[in-house]
Amino acid sequence: MRNFQRYIYATKNYSENLKELKAKRLEKNKTHVLCQEERVFFSRLLGTIMAHHNEDEGSIGTSMHGVTAREQVFSFSVQGEDDGPSSHTVRFDDPTAKFALPVDSEHRATAFKPFSFAKPHMRAFHLGWISFFTCFISTFAAAPLVPIIRDNLDLTKSDIGNAGVASVSGAIFSRLAMGAVCDLLGARYGTAFLLMLSAPTVFSMSFVSDAGGYLSVRFMIGFCLATFVSCQYWTSVMFNGKIIGLVNGCAGGWGDMGGGVTQLLMPMVFHVIKLAGATPFTAWRIAFFIPGFLQVIMGILVLTLGQDLPDGNLSTLQKRGAVSKDKFTKVFWYAVLNYRTYVLFLLYGFSMGIEMTINNVISEYFFDRFQLELHTAGMIAASFGMANFFARPLGGYASDISARFFGMRGRLWTLWILQTSGGIFCVWLGRATSLPIAILSMMLFSVGVQAACGAIFGIVPFVSRRSLGLISGLTGAGGNFGSGLTQLIFFSSSKFHTADGLSLMGIMGMIFTLLVAFIHFPQWGSMFFGPTSDEKKSKEEHYYAAEWTEEEKRQGLHEGSLKFAENSRSERGRKAASDGSSPSTPPENGNPAHV
Amino acid sequence: MAIHKIILASFIVYLMIQFSHGATKERLFSDLEKDALDVTAKPSRQGVLDAGIDKLSITWKLSSTAKKQANFTTIKVKLCYAPVSQVDRPWRKTENELFKDKTCPHKIITRAYNKSSQSFKYTLDRDIPTGTYFVRTYAVDAKDHEVAFGQSTNEAKTTNLFSVQAISGRHKSLDIASVCFSVFSVLALLVFFVNEKRKAKLEQRK
Repeated sequence: MRNFQRYIYATKNYSENLKELKAKRLEKNKTHVLCQEERVFFSRLLGTIMAHHNEDEGSIGTSMHGVTAREQVFSFSVQGEDDGPSSHTVRFDDPTAKFALPVDSEHRATAFKPFSFAKPHMRAFHLGWISFFTCFISTFAAAPLVPIIRDNLDLTKSDIGNAGVASVSGAIFSRLAMGAVCDLLGARYGTAFLLMLSAPTVFSMSFVSDAGGYLSVRFMIGFCLATFVSCQYWTSVMFNGKIIGLVNGCAGGWGDMGGGVTQLLMPMVFHVIKLAGATPFTAWRIAFFIPGFLQVIMGILVLTLGQDLPDGNLSTLQKRGAVSKDKFTKVFWYAVLNYRTYVLFLLYGFSMGIEMTINNVISEYFFDRFQLELHTAGMIAASFGMANFFARPLGGYASDISARFFGMRGRLWTLWILQTSGGIFCVWLGRATSLPIAILSMMLFSVGVQAACGAIFGIVPFVSRRSLGLISGLTGAGGNFGSGLTQLIFFSSSKFHTADGLSLMGIMGMIFTLLVAFIHFPQWGSMFFGPTSDEKKSKEEHYYAAEWTEEEKRQGLHEGSLKFAENSRSERGRKAASDGSSPSTPPENGNPAHV
Repeated sequence: MAIHKIILASFIVYLMIQFSHGATKERLFSDLEKDALDVTAKPSRQGVLDAGIDKLSITWKLSSTAKKQANFTTIKVKLCYAPVSQVDRPWRKTENELFKDKTCPHKIITRAYNKSSQSFKYTLDRDIPTGTYFVRTYAVDAKDHEVAFGQSTNEAKTTNLFSVQAISGRHKSLDIASVCFSVFSVLALLVFFVNEKRKAKLEQRK
């Protein structure tokens, strides 16, 4: 035991510790069974190692995913001692054969099978995206029913517009806080808390009798949009970095579809309730019970069927081992110092933000401008949101393809092209005076703007390695901010006709999209400029290692960033591949953390 | 490839047609004959009327100044918004083009044209919103085009207006159901949470 205590205070370099221990073992010529303190020490060590190796590409929180410490005794037979940071080769007692999908050493799935509901990975994926989908339904449930609600509550255009702004504003803050909540409670409880604590707000629509009540209820319902963060967190924990891009893209896109489905669902429910005999002013209140029920049901399903981590639930695992995290102040600092964070914040505000604004205004727009029935307007509005099913993953895919040929410059140009064409079609939608043209322009607009959302998250992972989670969350919050802003300026007053508001919003979007030109990476360049000629700064390692202080580098905490930097060399485009000096596979993270 | 070109061409032609669509005749409100009918709308009681409960006594007859009465086939009686109820509500806007005009969305009754004085006792529908109203009757010809109109107020729409208070749409049973489900949701969450914490503690003790 005294020997072991010497180890603890000796070097901070774990591999040296391992080597010493092995030497000792070979000395004694028997397998060393660790005592309690040693077990805790090594489990913490392994935990930290695994965290910084896989802390990832898609991680929203800054804590470790895949807590590894186990109760079982480590029979210390380390294979491949020269593997350095990769402790993948350490064998655990649990065979990975018990998982339905192939997994890596952290038990994260390495394959994505959307039609499977196997525990725990695919189940977590489906529970995650459906929860997010349900929350989108609730948040935008009022939008297709506004023609009825505005008569019941005697609303003015400003009232409606302000309520729309309120409906997306709450999520700015809840999305930022959600990362920490998931760290504390795990993804299951994070999701379930959001679903089941915001269900009462959905039910409380039955109490609303004036504009103020309407606004406050929509504001409170809007908080549940933070399920995006918990959904992405959950998939990041469950899926390996190589496929996390596709998984998160699907989860994000399919969840966003909820904004479209609600435009179809709510008028239909309203119609059925009216047929059952209720008057319109009561029927819409009853209709709100449907999203409320969906939320409660999903909350219960998440709690009963879901699992925080591939190996179990967080509370049980936490009691067994150590969870180590990066310091939040550091992560925050490096996110705030990076100017690209703000550029992405604004860019996402004019892709996702515009998308959410349209979710709020488009049904009423078609109802009023073209004198349609409520459910017809709803159907058309729904097709806007439903395009997300393929449009968003398509954007991410386009970004990846362009990166293969042109590197990061390709990604930036793809983003600019997609978002600008979205803006152009938005202007066209505002100008359209006939229904077929309006629908055509709306569909093109939806594909452009939703693909741009996907493309933005093709770039986000490269902005920072250490603060990826926070930057993803901030970008997401930017979406809500943009939505609130555009609704406030263009759709809350009688200054503009809604049609003019749409066109002006498209123009504003195009102007802000020009900011893409300002995203410059020293190692890869930007839309118009190449990488810096400075020998040192043009290395990926320099960029990503710059987020760690010298002290931290000495502790070896930046190893994960270095590995990421090496993998990200593919962002140089064809040149990198032809160099033959770097792996031609796309970086591990692909397109993670789609919002 | 040829078929693709044809489809694209016809699509473009279709678009062109749509763009130039604005050339059709638009029937204007200002073309209608004013005050062709004398209309009165008398509320059943003083003060603000309650939707679904109170009634309006509406009478209309041909005015002495009417000229186009030969074309009248049907009379459509509608409930219309007064200007004060149109403020900051573009979905109730008065437009000159008849198909765009949203002043009178609520139908009261439609009757065949009759020279003699007509009357109707209208119970305010339960989906009438809160607002200030007047009554207008459109005289429609055989082609279902408006030809003339008469209204219960003056041209500036300032006299003889009446106010309606909509139903709230709320019901006690709905409120109670809402509270019950909300409580259930929060309780279920707490139960799960406490249970799991307890199970984790038990496992740790083991």
